[in-house]
Amino acid sequence: MSRITHAEASRKAVLEARQQQEETPENKEERRRFAEEASSLWLITLSPLAWAIHFILSYGGAALYCARFAPAEFDPVPFMRLSIAGITVLALAVIGYVAWVSWRQWDYLDDYDYDHAKAVGEDRHEFLGHAAFLLSIMSAIAVIYVAMPAIFMETCR
Amino acid sequence: MLSEPVDPEWSDASADRLRAIWKGLPGWRYWKAVNNSEVGIWYSLACLFFMLCAGAMALIMRVQLAVPGADIVSADTYNQLYTMHGSAMMFLFAVPMFEAIAILLLPAFLGARDMPFPRLSAYGFWCFAIGGLFVISSPLFGIGPDGGWFMYPPYSTKFGGIGADVWLLGLSFIEVASIAAAVELIVGVLKCRPPGMRVNIMPLYAWYVLVVGAMILFAFPPLIAGDLLFELERALGWPFFDPDRGGDPMLWQHLFWIFGHPEVYIVFLPSIAIAAMVVPTAARQPIVGYSWIVLSAVGTGFISFGLWVHHMFTTGLPNISLGFFSAASEAVVIPTGIQLFAFVATLLVGRVRMSVPMLYIAGSLAIFTAGGLTGVMVALAPFDWQAHDSYFVVAHLHYTLFGGMVFPVMAGVSYFYPFFTKKKMSNTLGRIAFWLTFVGFNVTFLPMHLTGLMGMPRRVFTYLPGLGWDGLNLISTVGAFVMAAGILTFVWDVLRPKGNAPFTERNPWDAGTLEWSHDVPDQAWGVRSIPHVVTRYPIWQQPKIVERMDAGRFYLPDAEEAKRETLVTSILDARPIQVMRVTGPTWKTHLTAAFTGLGFILPTFHIYWPAAFFLLCAGAAVIWWLWTSTTPVPEKDMKDVGLGLKLPVYASGPASAGWWGVWITMLGDMTAFASLVFGMVFFWTASETFITDDTRTVLLPWLSLATLAVGCSWALTVAARETNRRGRGGIAKFCLTGAFVLTIVGAGALAISFWASDLEPTTHSFPAICGAITIWTLAHLGLGLTMQGYGLAGMIFGKLTTRYDADLWNITLFWHFMLVTMAAAAFMIGVFPILAGEV
Repeated sequence: MSRITHAEASRKAVLEARQQQEETPENKEERRRFAEEASSLWLITLSPLAWAIHFILSYGGAALYCARFAPAEFDPVPFMRLSIAGITVLALAVIGYVAWVSWRQWDYLDDYDYDHAKAVGEDRHEFLGHAAFLLSIMSAIAVIYVAMPAIFMETCR
Repeated sequence: MLSEPVDPEWSDASADRLRAIWKGLPGWRYWKAVNNSEVGIWYSLACLFFMLCAGAMALIMRVQLAVPGADIVSADTYNQLYTMHGSAMMFLFAVPMFEAIAILLLPAFLGARDMPFPRLSAYGFWCFAIGGLFVISSPLFGIGPDGGWFMYPPYSTKFGGIGADVWLLGLSFIEVASIAAAVELIVGVLKCRPPGMRVNIMPLYAWYVLVVGAMILFAFPPLIAGDLLFELERALGWPFFDPDRGGDPMLWQHLFWIFGHPEVYIVFLPSIAIAAMVVPTAARQPIVGYSWIVLSAVGTGFISFGLWVHHMFTTGLPNISLGFFSAASEAVVIPTGIQLFAFVATLLVGRVRMSVPMLYIAGSLAIFTAGGLTGVMVALAPFDWQAHDSYFVVAHLHYTLFGGMVFPVMAGVSYFYPFFTKKKMSNTLGRIAFWLTFVGFNVTFLPMHLTGLMGMPRRVFTYLPGLGWDGLNLISTVGAFVMAAGILTFVWDVLRPKGNAPFTERNPWDAGTLEWSHDVPDQAWGVRSIPHVVTRYPIWQQPKIVERMDAGRFYLPDAEEAKRETLVTSILDARPIQVMRVTGPTWKTHLTAAFTGLGFILPTFHIYWPAAFFLLCAGAAVIWWLWTSTTPVPEKDMKDVGLGLKLPVYASGPASAGWWGVWITMLGDMTAFASLVFGMVFFWTASETFITDDTRTVLLPWLSLATLAVGCSWALTVAARETNRRGRGGIAKFCLTGAFVLTIVGAGALAISFWASDLEPTTHSFPAICGAITIWTLAHLGLGLTMQGYGLAGMIFGKLTTRYDADLWNITLFWHFMLVTMAAAAFMIGVFPILAGEV
């Protein structure tokens, strides 16, 4: 008997919970904000992630190519150099895009705020933009560093 | 509402209820405690003990090296000493010390009552204590590991008695504890902040803890995977690192340093995080460049994963590979440097009070900068070829670790001492200890740059006279004893009885962060009430906050139901979403840790079956622990938490802390699995004969059946969650039962696909790595099966219902990762050999 009433109570709780998810303006607003929250936390990792992928592709690609795929009949270096140049441009483009988006999110020229120490949504929003922008600059420099060995290499060794 | 006065009678009564539920137990039952304050203190004292042991070993080595041809210890003992010095300083001091301090401090920074999973930290600590004692005592019996802290094969796979097993099993055990702590700390930062504390105002320490926790998840698992392969080679003769049978010792070096280099930053970042807390207080000025410091923490966290090969510059890798790693090693200087500049800037704009903690921070900045500069030098491959394995590197690494870890931690201990113990350390002793340590350190290690450049190699137990190394070595030895005197002065000041000394004032440094709202004398509740935080330095910037916290004006001021509770908030904006019930004192953690310890320690002595039995016992103990104390069905749905806020007591899925715990754990788990996959690709890249035309593979029909069964099991698990959520408990039970059966079928088919095939793991690295991947997947299927059984039992016994379905969410989450593991394993052992054989 008590098991049945418990199950009924549970079902009722689920129904109530579902009603709360209905499309009231507050719920919509809440969900919109939450979506923005999630995406902007990832934003700060995007540029360093682009660096990491560029790094793995450069190192892993060069190592694999030299060990397995480099043809014996002609010089493997130009192909590698071009490939690394290609992924470098691609990585910088991604980082540049993230930098642009995060610069807009920081919105520095609007209020010249670089401290973001207030407990309001706007400051949190701008702070994440600011941090993502700075990380983009660092990532761009790091990508250029990592690409430089390609300029100097002369053989697969 | 905040300014309304609190009824004093209610305030006293609720404080009594709160005190009663949080207080520790008397007598020997004190050791049952799981509070972050107790566990944190035990953890740090254990680390201190191991550090002193490792330091004593260093002193013996310095005595041996004081003059040429000395005969204090034998070469064999010397090998054990330097191996254990490095291993203990890294695994038993530096990393666990971070965890200890973070467990102690983080809840206080966040105004939380405790960590989200108190028993997990207690379990982690007891594992650490057992494993640490086992490893550190091994040289006393002459069975210590002697292959260097990096355990390179082939020496370590073929020689050295059981020393290598002590190292592998003892430290793997501790790594598991580290990952447990990382999970706990990440969830703590993400979900247990006080209401209002958005990510842009949380203490910088929390940012660092978040970054370092994530780094542990990606850095430690490769070593655990490496340890697994290593032990399989030592115990069963599977030739992962034996070139005669298709193995490659370089794979170990890669796996070790993929762990080993981020490790350096895992040690450095949380220590420099202490500086980020001490500096604003000393300067009496909020930190300058908060966003810049976040940038440098996150940036360092990423780039530190691109440096590992700089430990392998002399192994004969292609120059082009060295180039990439050299470039990344130079790039990491940028974010690392930025935070130091931010600290200097804060000190410049503030009015600095040169307190003892600030003295240590100043020393740390000086020493770390010197170490960083030699780092820039050795990051250049041509320079490294000259300096590699010489005392120059010894000098470099000690400068970075002492400046980047030891001095900041000493600063932290003297700064937070009044918070930990409610007593003060001596100002005079602090200054004496600082100068002895600082001068002694430089006298010891500065000459080593020269000794190294003059050609003295590392890890030699003695040397001949007349090579120009005599005087420099003698100076280093003298310096080592001066430094030891400094450290001992410091330790004496920490440990000396202070029974008669007066209590400290509440906020002795006039700091601005929440930990200084602590109660003097101590109260076990963490905070009287959980404040609403809207600034980075609440004590400086939110008037009356401490007074209101004390009066119980804020959240959760009471414990009507006599349960331990803390608030769970949303990740970015810290909106309160749940009152979480946390667990209290228990012996279950000790029991589980003891079983786990036996399961890891016995194989060292080649006692396998009892070890397997004890691991099963550990598993049973974990199930008992989970069943009896996690996700209990609450007596009511909602609870009034004060300030007019009502919150649910139960949460499942992404809203709950447990779900995040599983998610984060599985991220680490996938990293370990990815390391095994990397191993296979590595063998294929490194050797032409890894896969040849006559390489046989696993039985593909059985492998396909396994994949299909596991895939269906996953689908049914998801279906169980969904039907259960919609109130169809009967269908859910049916689905989960089906999933359970299919998991058994899948595991059986997977086992047959390997063991019924012609693959013989001892013959070659190819069958060996296929076997390792199979074992890994089977172990996970066993875990997944247990979880499905647990969920089923929960449904049958009414612990898991439509409304209270957190366990089922967590089980499904595990199974998402299980599906990926199975699919990847099937691809790597079934499809990849066929594709790769064509190339």
